[in-house]
Amino acid sequence: MKMFRLTGKYLWLFLGPTLTIITIFFIIPVFLTLLISFTDMDYAFEWNWIGLENYIRMLEDQWLPKILNNTFFYVFVTLTCFNVGMALVISILTTHINEYVGSAFRAIWLLPRITPSTVYALLWLWASREDAMSLFNWILGFFGMPPINWRLHQPWLLVILVNGFVGVSFGMIIFTAALKSIPNDFLWAAQVDGASTFQVIRHVELPLIKWPILFVLAYQTLSLLTSYEYILLVTDGGPGFFTTEVWALRSYHLAFAQYGGRVYFGYGAALSTILVVIGLIMSILYLKLFRFRELIIEPKIEVQ
Amino acid sequence: MSTKSPTVTLIAVALIALIVGVVIGYMIPKAPTGEVVPKSEYDKVLAENEQLRSKVEELQKKLEAMGAKEITIVIWTIGPDPPSEYRYKNFEIAAEMLNKWLTLMGSNVKVKVEGEFFVRPVEWKEYRNKFYMAAKAGKAPDIYLTGHEDIGFLADNNYIIPLDDYIQEYWDVVYYDVIPTLWKAVEYKGHKWAIPQDTEVRPLYFRKDILRQLGWSEEEIEALPKKIQNGEFTLEDLLELAKQAKDAGLVERGLVHRVKEGYDYFQFYLGFGGRLWDPAQGKMVFTKSAWKKTLEWFHRAVYEYEVISPTQFSGDWDKDFHGPFTQGKTLFLSGGSWHKGEWISKGLLTEESFKENVGFALHPAGEAGLKPVTLSHPLIYTITKQAADRGVADVAFMLITLVTDPHLNANHAIASSHLAILYSEILDSRYTQDWFLKDVAYMLDYTTFIPNHPNWGDYSRVVYESIKAVEGGESPEDAYNYMLSEIQKLGDVFIIED
Repeated sequence: MKMFRLTGKYLWLFLGPTLTIITIFFIIPVFLTLLISFTDMDYAFEWNWIGLENYIRMLEDQWLPKILNNTFFYVFVTLTCFNVGMALVISILTTHINEYVGSAFRAIWLLPRITPSTVYALLWLWASREDAMSLFNWILGFFGMPPINWRLHQPWLLVILVNGFVGVSFGMIIFTAALKSIPNDFLWAAQVDGASTFQVIRHVELPLIKWPILFVLAYQTLSLLTSYEYILLVTDGGPGFFTTEVWALRSYHLAFAQYGGRVYFGYGAALSTILVVIGLIMSILYLKLFRFRELIIEPKIEVQ
Repeated sequence: MSTKSPTVTLIAVALIALIVGVVIGYMIPKAPTGEVVPKSEYDKVLAENEQLRSKVEELQKKLEAMGAKEITIVIWTIGPDPPSEYRYKNFEIAAEMLNKWLTLMGSNVKVKVEGEFFVRPVEWKEYRNKFYMAAKAGKAPDIYLTGHEDIGFLADNNYIIPLDDYIQEYWDVVYYDVIPTLWKAVEYKGHKWAIPQDTEVRPLYFRKDILRQLGWSEEEIEALPKKIQNGEFTLEDLLELAKQAKDAGLVERGLVHRVKEGYDYFQFYLGFGGRLWDPAQGKMVFTKSAWKKTLEWFHRAVYEYEVISPTQFSGDWDKDFHGPFTQGKTLFLSGGSWHKGEWISKGLLTEESFKENVGFALHPAGEAGLKPVTLSHPLIYTITKQAADRGVADVAFMLITLVTDPHLNANHAIASSHLAILYSEILDSRYTQDWFLKDVAYMLDYTTFIPNHPNWGDYSRVVYESIKAVEGGESPEDAYNYMLSEIQKLGDVFIIED
């Protein structure tokens, strides 16, 4: 049986609604951002075209290399330690134990995601306060260590933990679903052949959930690249000069967060444009790396 | 078209006479002679009221001509401290008054006020953003309260209208009474763009009880503000004293300052002899030596003396600012006069405990031979371009004139610990009875305003980033170089002096 393909007017009829939404909410904003990045727009909202001046200014900005490094460091560490790494570990562990206990664990890991971000950030700030009675320092004190000011001495640790705990749940849910949909025959067959649990995971389960891993990796990379709200709430890019400032936060700071009411929509938009480009490059890279084409090719055999 | 019956005129006169009577009544206990109000005073009030009455009549004719039954004026105001609610409430009172008069004059037009008083968690930043967005969408308020330093930007970009003609026209009604320095704060490019709403000073608060525990006598404690005023107690002494209190285990921190971007810390720069504004050239000023000293001072305060928390700037208003000071866990607080109102209304301190345990002074001079300072940041009412386009600028101005009233403004000043904007308000009996406002009034002689320059926000941001970085462990040299390079990028709007 050949796969049924939509053509002509039906194709557009079915794609229409989604295409409209994507155009209005995704494609047009990208072009608007691009246009604004060629102006020196501020709160007067004037379209003064200044060509590539914002981009030239970007090249002259002595702090941008540092901010770019911060961004890659933050995305890479958070992805590997939490959003993909920890998510995988939790999904595999919780699917290899009693069903109910596993579900309970996963439910607990969902908590940070469903807590409003300001409340969640405040909890972290409270737990990491510099006085000896805060949660972290109390734990340190338990081991006989002096209290430290976490936001000052360990800003990156804090930023990555705060973001990481929120980011785990997405991957966890997808991986768990993927693992549960692996037919038991494969696992039994592997075990009959004498594979240890570790070998089953390594040679059977992981290859079979390669596509979900790609999806989560790509999706979380993009979302971390543009995420800044927890960093804003916890360290606001400090301490010191741009220690934990990431690209998206810099853009936000320049475009909206000026006490004195002076803003740089143009420059902020130019920064965002670069972020879009980085995101595109990363996505293409992932698709190539994981041989995305092979993944979505039509099956060569009929599965009944 | 309005034909006034004699009865109405009679009632109007009676009402005015009543107002006059009330005003006089309030003045009697505090009248300079202590006995009776001189006739000249009485005549003055009468003349003002007569003027106001004729203005209301003119306005009424305009309103009739517009043919509307109800005219809505939209007003946006912000605290963000809750006790400043009279910034909006006074308009409701004024509108009620105006409507009564209009009814008495036989008019059937009503003036309605709508709008909002924003309080925390809405901060200035969001409030301003909201205004600009609304203005571009054609949904701006008619009256917009903001800080005077926004005038440059608002005027340059046609958000607000100049008010010179109006002020001229109503000069004898009330505006002659405005304390003259305040007009400086609303001037830009030779025009007056706004009406002052309030002003304040920013004291350095200190805990008397901690000083007592350090062995200071009452006389010494009472003399501290005077010593600061005479320049005998400098920022260096402040560090020493704060450290002393901390080392003695009396406090957890020596000094707390604001936890978000703002203007308070410019006072340390001014204390080191820096300048902000050059009126002759109309440019902002960057004094190199003063900024160097300021950044070094902050660095030493955090890392050498350990009297300021290194994460003060990413702290929380309650936990790191109000809390420590009102609970006596810090010796000094660099704040504003409105904080007194805030502490009392929040129940953090009572009037008695404030009087007993809290002292206040100017911000000290940086070193011997320099002057102590404070900073004032008058808030202002502007009338938006949109109000003018809708043809309601007259009504809006009338409302502003009515709230610029010694009695109404004193409501605000007393509730929120802000200072008077009118001479006659200083004489208002309730105001004179407020010992705190009376005691901080001398600080106005040492005050500086922020420049009304469109690029002021850039200056503020660079300074905030630099001081925050120094407190977070960057070296003062790096911070200074960053500051200077950012300021140089802004080009010709600055005078960079040694």
